[in-house]
Amino acid sequence: MHIFSRSRRLPVVPMIALLALALSACVAPAPASQSIANTPAPAATVAPTVASAPAPTQPATAAPATPPVAPAATVPVSVTAAVSPTVEQSGAALAKALTGGIAVTSTEDVTTPRTRHGGEFHDVATSDAVSFHPYLTTDTASGSYQGMVYTGGMLRLDEKTLEYIPNMAESYTISPDGLTFTFHLRKNMLWSDGQPITANDFKWTYDQVKNPDHAFPYLSQLDFISSYEALDDYTIQVKINEVYAPALGQMSGLITPLPKHVWEKLNWSDPQKNPEINHPTVVSGPYKLASWQRDQSAVFEANDKYWYHGAPNITKHIIEIVPSQDIAYQKLKSGESDTGDITPDNLAEARKLQNITVHEWWPAAAVWSYVGLNTREGRPTSDVNVRRGLSYAIDKNLLTDQIMLGQAKRICSLYPETSWVYNPDVPCYDYNTKDATDAFALAGYTLKDGKMVDKDGKQLTLKLIYGPNTNKTRELIAVSVQDYLSKIGINVQIQGLEWNSYLQAAQSAEPDWDLNLGAWRSTIEPHIMYTIWSESGIPELNMVGYVNKEVERLFQEAGRSYDPAVRKPIYQKIQKIIADDSPYTFLFYNKAWAGVNNRIKGIVPSALGIGWNSEDWYVEGN
Amino acid sequence: MGHYVLRRGLQSVVLLWVATLISFSIYQLAPGGPLQFLDQDPRRSAVDVARLKHLYGLDRPIPMQYAAWIAGEDWYARVRGMARWQSGLCAADAGRCSRGIVRLDFGRSFHYQGEPVLNLIAGRIPATFLLAFSSLLISIVIGIPLGIVSALHRGRWPDHTVRVSTVLVSTVPEWWIGLLLLIVLGSYLRVVPLGGMQTIGDGSPGDVLRHLALPATVAAIGGIIGFSRIMRFEMLEVLNQDYVRTARAKGLSPQLVIWRHVLRNALMPFVTGLGGIFLLILSGSVLFEIVFSWPGMGRLTIEAINSRDYPVMMALFVITSFLGIIGVLMVDILYGVVDPRVRYGNGS
Repeated sequence: MHIFSRSRRLPVVPMIALLALALSACVAPAPASQSIANTPAPAATVAPTVASAPAPTQPATAAPATPPVAPAATVPVSVTAAVSPTVEQSGAALAKALTGGIAVTSTEDVTTPRTRHGGEFHDVATSDAVSFHPYLTTDTASGSYQGMVYTGGMLRLDEKTLEYIPNMAESYTISPDGLTFTFHLRKNMLWSDGQPITANDFKWTYDQVKNPDHAFPYLSQLDFISSYEALDDYTIQVKINEVYAPALGQMSGLITPLPKHVWEKLNWSDPQKNPEINHPTVVSGPYKLASWQRDQSAVFEANDKYWYHGAPNITKHIIEIVPSQDIAYQKLKSGESDTGDITPDNLAEARKLQNITVHEWWPAAAVWSYVGLNTREGRPTSDVNVRRGLSYAIDKNLLTDQIMLGQAKRICSLYPETSWVYNPDVPCYDYNTKDATDAFALAGYTLKDGKMVDKDGKQLTLKLIYGPNTNKTRELIAVSVQDYLSKIGINVQIQGLEWNSYLQAAQSAEPDWDLNLGAWRSTIEPHIMYTIWSESGIPELNMVGYVNKEVERLFQEAGRSYDPAVRKPIYQKIQKIIADDSPYTFLFYNKAWAGVNNRIKGIVPSALGIGWNSEDWYVEGN
Repeated sequence: MGHYVLRRGLQSVVLLWVATLISFSIYQLAPGGPLQFLDQDPRRSAVDVARLKHLYGLDRPIPMQYAAWIAGEDWYARVRGMARWQSGLCAADAGRCSRGIVRLDFGRSFHYQGEPVLNLIAGRIPATFLLAFSSLLISIVIGIPLGIVSALHRGRWPDHTVRVSTVLVSTVPEWWIGLLLLIVLGSYLRVVPLGGMQTIGDGSPGDVLRHLALPATVAAIGGIIGFSRIMRFEMLEVLNQDYVRTARAKGLSPQLVIWRHVLRNALMPFVTGLGGIFLLILSGSVLFEIVFSWPGMGRLTIEAINSRDYPVMMALFVITSFLGIIGVLMVDILYGVVDPRVRYGNGS
């Protein structure tokens, strides 16, 4: 459960955020903070929910790649957090200011020490990190470990407004043309060995990451940056070629510095020659690594040189690797661990436990599920009326209630309610078999003797594929869809596949399926979702082969502005068009939750989860 | 005799090589690959994937990858026209070139980001052997006496009790029994730890023993059942031998007959087969390691397979095959030593 990921220390990579993946995220309703199996997550800002994919490895769920997605950032846009659903307009003010450039300065005092030091936190995780190298790994467990020892980027997400606010940078400015970003670092920051953290560390780290031989998996995410320079020890200037909405969040989120004075003498990526890769000794984060035994445990001790209010309250953080979510839950229940995965099946029981508090929230980076409708030529679902008919024919409200047991909410388009660009005014296809048969009639199908037949009298038969996930959600959805569609005479053939086989089938350039079940983790920065609706995303990300040039044009237009007031109506339009086209039958998005022992105090859930202020948590009595 | 050993040794090497060829192909045929984690990750572009494939050498034809795995890639650059056989990482940093398994270099793990495969495996061997040895010991100590009791009381209640209970237990998957016991004994009664090999920060022999008790016992269930059945069968067979009847007819006491004649002969198959049985238990420990979060090779195997970590998968495969082949070879040679018919059997 790596609860600890928070924005302040966002692991680098994860921070980028992107969408999440979902498929990978198959996560079933991922319990909130759970990392489930192998790929757990830390995500960054988001408290880990993460999911994991069903990768086999993960018996549990884990998704293969599901990165924690951290919200990508943007210019301070305000976003609505699920907890306080109002879209604030401060972003607009900022946009106005942009005409003359903008300057943001933090007045936050980051030096007052915390006062409740002491104690241990016992954490459990169902999968272990693979490495502490922030620029090689992509899994959430590693991201969470890295977040313990390496502090985040120059900015971080505010847990209330979900805007990017100063973090390691005390202030920043954006030039009037929106192409030059200047960050002024705080001067009180030290590495754990007492050396100052400077702009040179950032610059050196950036240069290493940019080296194509250095195997950073997300290198193309940095393509928008044309130069990244240290003007002096405490000033970093980043230039970009054209206005790019996620720029601010990406440039600060992708790079967390590594200690140049230690690393420059060592090999960047060879763990045999660079012991810092798997056992970092000079760190910037709230904790130092005390010991790590693969697949057994990791022990972290407070870093008293930590720049953000000094050492975290809790002195020792212990992560124990356990084989399954069930065992993790048993440990939580017995008090052996202060946290542990609570599967949806266990949630009701967990809420009643005397020694545990279950914190619940609607995450800003919500995981949402859908039925994908293959829009390619030659499939029955290439006809928009067939797709609409299918959407009408499935009772999404009932399905959500019955399968998710109240732990999810209906969703009608690609951005959930928690997004700042959410558009409530889109076609929602509320369950109605009459509307469904009417839509099919437009496509040339008639319901005859209980069978939906085409002009030649042949019954409509659709093939549905899905990959497994831990708690059977996918399987239940598959069967429900089959059942609903049989009511209007459509024959659905279900094929459940092993995870990798499922991916291969789902991402095939010439798919032989009509329907597939998937999920995505949405991002706070709406632009990131572009890839799954673009023609260039076919077939890996845009598995349904959806092509709409107008949608692409709108995404590009919205991506060329920093002004939320300009961007929001464009994203709302996109939602309307996509809902009209119905390439997905949108189902629901998940709630997140985490159980923590009552002896741990100071937890404040937000749309980012509970990990965002974990340095301030304390053990009762301290 | 030397000739026989040499012949069997050579056959074993060929067998091992064929096994690697087959397993390498099978792994490549499985859907997914080491970069599958990027499959649905919108953060990466097609360019990133192509670059990583090149760095890790996954853009090379499969036979070339196999050749590199066998013979290494550190020498390609020195041979004209073979530079493209190198992976990108090897080309950029000579320290990352594999030396090939012929030089006992199992390469670097993909999943564990360049960690040498042998380091990963070496770290797991003690835990796996500890669990396997303990469960073998428990199987012997409990299974063999059960078999003896059964045989000596054939057709009466002790025999029925043993047989019925072993059949009952064997109908339930052992990993499930493990999970059940873990929850009952570990969570409700709190008499055993909930998995793991040691308490964090402890790790004393007593602590390890406490963690070992339940996994070793559960992993021994199969062995107990198997040993008791085989022992019963062997005992009964020996009891029916003429020399036993003769011994009895001579008037030896029943205890003496059992100890000196029956038991010794009935135990023979165990002695020769012990190596093989141990290897079986080793390979069977995967499930138990998962259930009890035992930090051994089983867990590593599962991780490697799920992440399509070819170098780790191949190394584990080669090492287990090697152990298996050595086991069989040793048995063959031992038989050859005791039984001349085996030695000269092949028409020589």
